Amino acid sequence: MSTAMQFYVSTLLVYTGVWLLGAWGLNLQFGTAGLLSFAFIVFQAVGAYTAAVLALGPQTDNGGFQHYIGGYDLPFPLPLLGAIVVGAAFAIPIGLVALRRLRSDYQAVALLVISIIATNVATNEPRLFNGATGIALVPKPLASWLGVDLITYQWIYVGLVVVVCLLAYFVVHRITHSPLGRAMRAMRDNEYAAASLAKNVIVLRILAFMIGGALGAASGAILVLFIGTWAPSSWFYPETFVFLAAIIIGGTNNSLGIFVGVLLVPIGFAESTRFLPSIGHPGLIDALQWIAIGFLFLIFLWFRPQGILPERKHRYSSEGKLLTVMQLVSRRLPIRSKVKGQAT
Amino acid sequence: MSAVAEEEARVSTEPILRVRGIVRDFGGVMAVAGADFDLNEGAITGLIGPNGAGKSTLVNIIAGAIRPRSGSITFRGADVTAQPPHLIAHRGIVRTFQMSSEFGKLTVLENLLVAVPGQEGESFWGAMRGRRFWEKEEAALVSQARVLLERFSMTAKEEEYAGNLSGGQRRLVEIMRGLMAKPKLLLLDEPLAGVNPSLAQEILGYLGALRDEGLTMLMVEHDLNAVERICDPVIVMAQGKVLAQGTFAQLRKQQEVLDAYFIG
Repeated sequence: MSTAMQFYVSTLLVYTGVWLLGAWGLNLQFGTAGLLSFAFIVFQAVGAYTAAVLALGPQTDNGGFQHYIGGYDLPFPLPLLGAIVVGAAFAIPIGLVALRRLRSDYQAVALLVISIIATNVATNEPRLFNGATGIALVPKPLASWLGVDLITYQWIYVGLVVVVCLLAYFVVHRITHSPLGRAMRAMRDNEYAAASLAKNVIVLRILAFMIGGALGAASGAILVLFIGTWAPSSWFYPETFVFLAAIIIGGTNNSLGIFVGVLLVPIGFAESTRFLPSIGHPGLIDALQWIAIGFLFLIFLWFRPQGILPERKHRYSSEGKLLTVMQLVSRRLPIRSKVKGQAT
Repeated sequence: MSAVAEEEARVSTEPILRVRGIVRDFGGVMAVAGADFDLNEGAITGLIGPNGAGKSTLVNIIAGAIRPRSGSITFRGADVTAQPPHLIAHRGIVRTFQMSSEFGKLTVLENLLVAVPGQEGESFWGAMRGRRFWEKEEAALVSQARVLLERFSMTAKEEEYAGNLSGGQRRLVEIMRGLMAKPKLLLLDEPLAGVNPSLAQEILGYLGALRDEGLTMLMVEHDLNAVERICDPVIVMAQGKVLAQGTFAQLRKQQEVLDAYFIG
């Protein structure tokens, strides 16, 4: 593989991980807990900003040309861990404002408004976030310590992203396949009935918001530490709809389905349009990309709302144990059951 | 007498639920205008009245879904007025809803499992510790749920999504779900609404059997034949107030009850 191709493929894999982490986070809020989290992109932005300012040195570095909060020059993985903690903590005030007393449709509106406020504040407040210009020169994790060439570093970063994704999958799987996940799904289906069965729906909502927010923040941190820049324009509210499209199209509440959705929507669309010849005025391809994602979103909502890989049924063995995916698959295989039938 | 024995003696002689002076309006329209009644342990108390009498509002207030403007509710000697629904449920007051309220995208078995409060795997750290931590408790709950499914002739529907069931089967799921929570008081808000007559008779049979086992229930219902069959005593509400209470036969003889409800 040529150097250019290696660079392209490794970059694509990092972006896939970034989208996947975010989509799993949003799915926990939307697919599992039923929260229409139109402010999700804010978590990614907060995580990215936190990681950037934890990794950057003081503002006076590089001639003091940019303004930001902090500048702590912390070594990796502290910027990533800090981003996760701040992302989870950030969910508490947002959750208390938007999720505590409002009905679900108004929650969605409140979260959308919060998202718009956040990007406007970030864009127009140069002393905190350096305004629309954003922050640049965020140091790459462990780059000076490793001392390797660019391509080798790219592949090492891919390995790091894989590790973070596996850890995220572990957390998501443990929650969604536990009584906690079941309580969240019950709340999603009927919050009043869940409350009447001793489920504290406010705590459940905020917990889902915190875990989803932490995953969103991790996704933002991975991205900003990779590309080295942070700008408010990357985190406008429509980006949340790309995550939502990946979840709806791939399959709500199915981690593998969401992976398929990420490959199809943000990765597939972005990359397929990259190779199109430039047509019309500048920006037309981007606009067409949004229109295509929008149509795909609507088609799935109309004709296959469960997505490509639907949410799996939770079934139990005769001993009362929750069946794993492998057990479910083997239960469906006719050959296996035939052999079992003959044996008995 | 020991403190525990004293407490037991007090609980056994006092009504399980005491409702006093409950008032609630919605935008100036008085829904409940000073309701007072007691519920005795081990009985199915019927709550009847014309549409708009305030029956469901009162059930919602008892269950914590709506806060009263004034008045008090005492459950087993403790003031539970205006407590949030999850705390009320923790105390043992469990309810069903006027409209079907099954968890549609959960299987029937999951609907029953989720009803049990305070499960080991329901906290964040409990979930993170993995299935080995909560699987034993879960298996015991599955076994309890399967006993209930068999009792209500719903075993074949164990793996069906609750949202795919018929109206009557959804009612059964709600009642089974309530029973999984091991309630001390079960509030039934029109449990026969939309249920075909033969299944309604089955549900009444189940409720009667549960009463015989000692479960206390408050049942809002419009089907007077059903109320007559299994409820004793019966409370009649009209215009937000308790109009009368007694056995069904006694109420039939009261002119004000006949005027307000039986005749129109």
